[in-house]
Amino acid sequence: MQTSPSSTQRKLNPVTSTVAVNRPTILCVDDEERILRSLRMLFAQTYNVRVTTDGNEALQILQQEKIHVLISDQRMPGMTGVELLRRAKYIVPNTMRLLLTGYSDLDSTLGSINEGEVFRFINKPWDADAIKATVASAVDIALSLGDMTLPAPSANSTVTDHILVIDEDPLSAVQVRELVHEHISAGLVIHHAATIEDVLEALRQHEIAVVVSEVRIGTADVTTLIKLLKRFNPRTVSILLTTFYDASMLVTLINEAQVYRCIPKPIRAKLLLRAIEGALESYWSFQVAPSLVKKHEVEVSKETTENPLASRIVGFFKSFSAQRT
Amino acid sequence: MSEVESLLVQLEPVTPSHTVDDVSELLLHDDYERFLCLPVVDAGRPIGVISRSEMQKIYMSMYGRELYGKKSVTQFMNRKAVVVDMKQPMEQISRYVTSNIKFPITEDFILTRDGQYSGIGHVVDLLKVMEGKLTRQSEEITRAYRELQASQSQLIQSEKMASLGQMVAGVAHEINTPLGYVKNNVSLAQDVFAQLKGLVASYDELLALLMGGEAEETAVVRYLGEIDRQRNDFWSVYPAEEVDNLFGDTLFGVDQISEIVLNLKNFSRLDQAAVDEVSLNQTIESTLVIAKNVLKNKVQLIKQYGEIPAVKCSPSQINQVFLNLLTNAAQAMDGNGKILIRTWADERYVYASVQDTGKGISKENLQKIFDPFFTTKPVGEGTGLGLSIVFKIIESHKGFIRVASEVGKGTRFIVALPHPKDSRHANKPELDTAQA
Ligand SMILES: Nc1ncnc2c1ncn2[C@@H]1O[C@H](COP(=O)(O)OP(=O)(O)OP(=O)(O)O)[C@@H](O)[C@H]1O
Ligand SMILES: [Mg+2]
Repeated sequence: MQTSPSSTQRKLNPVTSTVAVNRPTILCVDDEERILRSLRMLFAQTYNVRVTTDGNEALQILQQEKIHVLISDQRMPGMTGVELLRRAKYIVPNTMRLLLTGYSDLDSTLGSINEGEVFRFINKPWDADAIKATVASAVDIALSLGDMTLPAPSANSTVTDHILVIDEDPLSAVQVRELVHEHISAGLVIHHAATIEDVLEALRQHEIAVVVSEVRIGTADVTTLIKLLKRFNPRTVSILLTTFYDASMLVTLINEAQVYRCIPKPIRAKLLLRAIEGALESYWSFQVAPSLVKKHEVEVSKETTENPLASRIVGFFKSFSAQRT
Repeated sequence: MSEVESLLVQLEPVTPSHTVDDVSELLLHDDYERFLCLPVVDAGRPIGVISRSEMQKIYMSMYGRELYGKKSVTQFMNRKAVVVDMKQPMEQISRYVTSNIKFPITEDFILTRDGQYSGIGHVVDLLKVMEGKLTRQSEEITRAYRELQASQSQLIQSEKMASLGQMVAGVAHEINTPLGYVKNNVSLAQDVFAQLKGLVASYDELLALLMGGEAEETAVVRYLGEIDRQRNDFWSVYPAEEVDNLFGDTLFGVDQISEIVLNLKNFSRLDQAAVDEVSLNQTIESTLVIAKNVLKNKVQLIKQYGEIPAVKCSPSQINQVFLNLLTNAAQAMDGNGKILIRTWADERYVYASVQDTGKGISKENLQKIFDPFFTTKPVGEGTGLGLSIVFKIIESHKGFIRVASEVGKGTRFIVALPHPKDSRHANKPELDTAQA
């Protein structure tokens, strides 16, 4: 929609230009100034709020100032939100990234997983209290991360971590095994699970570093399991390797499972290999610097209480963690 | 009985011990009247045929009967008789027989089973069976064609659904953006009001104190101090200008949403007649709102609307035309590009053109783009129906469509619809209102 001339002449930062030193700072990016004004008013009491309609300017701000949380619209002229978040990830990895979008199509959801690695995906119109809570938790995480740098990945060939492939088709596990043994390390142990039972058994036996999973096995919905796994085992990094996916499913898998990558089938070896490498590096970094795990904090899924499968899995995790301690 | 078996005519064959005279006698017999030839079989295996015409040649030659009558028939038979095994499928048999039999037809063919003589087949019967088969096949083809037509119209429907999907995505985005700040602003206004309520309550208490008579000065001062603190808080959190903006933006957003809804209504024309007089300029404008999602933000739109008369058309169909043309234009451009939309008129037609700076269409493809299902796009992106539908719609409006394209430079489509004042388009456009 066109912006009326009067609105573009209005200054965006008339009052809160004085920066309160001790407050965390959030940066909002949207091509609609009214969204920015609205967000600024929502957050001005709690944070220093920086706003811009321009992706390139946002990148400059990120380089010059400490920004704890970056909230970006997806569809903007010049640079998409996913692109902005992708670049922000390299410039300031500890700035928490949120995507705010008017319509979650497959492109933007896939992009925000695979490229943006976003912390949360929020749909417009949003709920004021919910977005406040989300931003607050993102700010907390950013504050606790501080300037900590990611430890350099220890790409050694002697690793013996466990990777769990969840798929009815045993071929997926075979392919993963061949790939990682040839290109990463022959010490990595690959497990194949074709049923929820298999998955729970594997989790009982081993600490799983990376899960490579379909979204469905038979009639069972694996996404519930992936979400709960991340909630109870936050160090485990999950990759979707799937034929079936849609935008809304991916959105919940971002927010509630922090899936690391979503790779469509048929398997493309290079893509999958890179995803597994990245996931392992994430997992290793959590071992060196456990506080990094917070970056992957998930929203508690709403379905947990209603779904019988979910409550069974919750039961499993609870009794299991009780045993371990 | 199988088709092949229906060809089989059982017939006692002759053997090498039969003489020419024997055969001629047989051929004259009533039982053998229908046969062009007699098979010659030795120990169950066919070794040739002796035809009526061969016999005639013998007897018509000088002293034929005297010279050859007592000789074995094997000396005169055709050793290259057409022999087919009954285990083969009908098609194969017919192909083999028709390509091996000699014309004019003087012989029938021999049927065997595992090399053993079974009987004889008439070429005429074979032709009859094949004719029946062809008729049945052509009936099947007709039926398949009818089914295909039905499924094509289903596909057209699903193409409509697909463009509906794109539309919904676009419209959802267009609406959710203003809805985003409107909803948030209303939440904020609730907070503003909550604070104001607190402030007013403090004033009320102060008022009650003052009205109550013996108000102690320290109490009044305390109240005034409290009120002042609340006031300052309020103005610092919600500066007047910002609150004004808040309401201004909210109203603007609501207007924006109504405008989108209006455009949607214009686009679908659900509440209006199927045939109407509309300006193409207006049609294009409504379509652009809908097509916004497709155009994303990457393309620069240039509009050059001319002064044109309203044309009589089915607006929802014409909307579909522009939506398809704009979608194609957007899809033809990878990175950034421009789309130029022009409208103009002469005495005979009203024109609209959609021109893009996309990848263009090769000469070879240019002839096919209006064909149903012709597409160069990957599965899932294109069904190849867009332009065929455009063509059909324009045709039913008694207009025409032209295309010019240069690979690497871009493409221009010109749509022309009859000028309302031009009497040469005497008969009214026959609109397919069912599709509207
Ligand atoms: N503006 C254009 N620029 C370049 N090529 C075009 C343009 N318009 C059409 N084409 C070519 O013509 C083909 C047929 O177009 P048409 O609209 O009929 O089908 P489609 O766009 O492939 O699929 P659909 O419209 O069903 O999604 C396209 O695949 C494309 O190759
Ligand atoms: Mg098309």
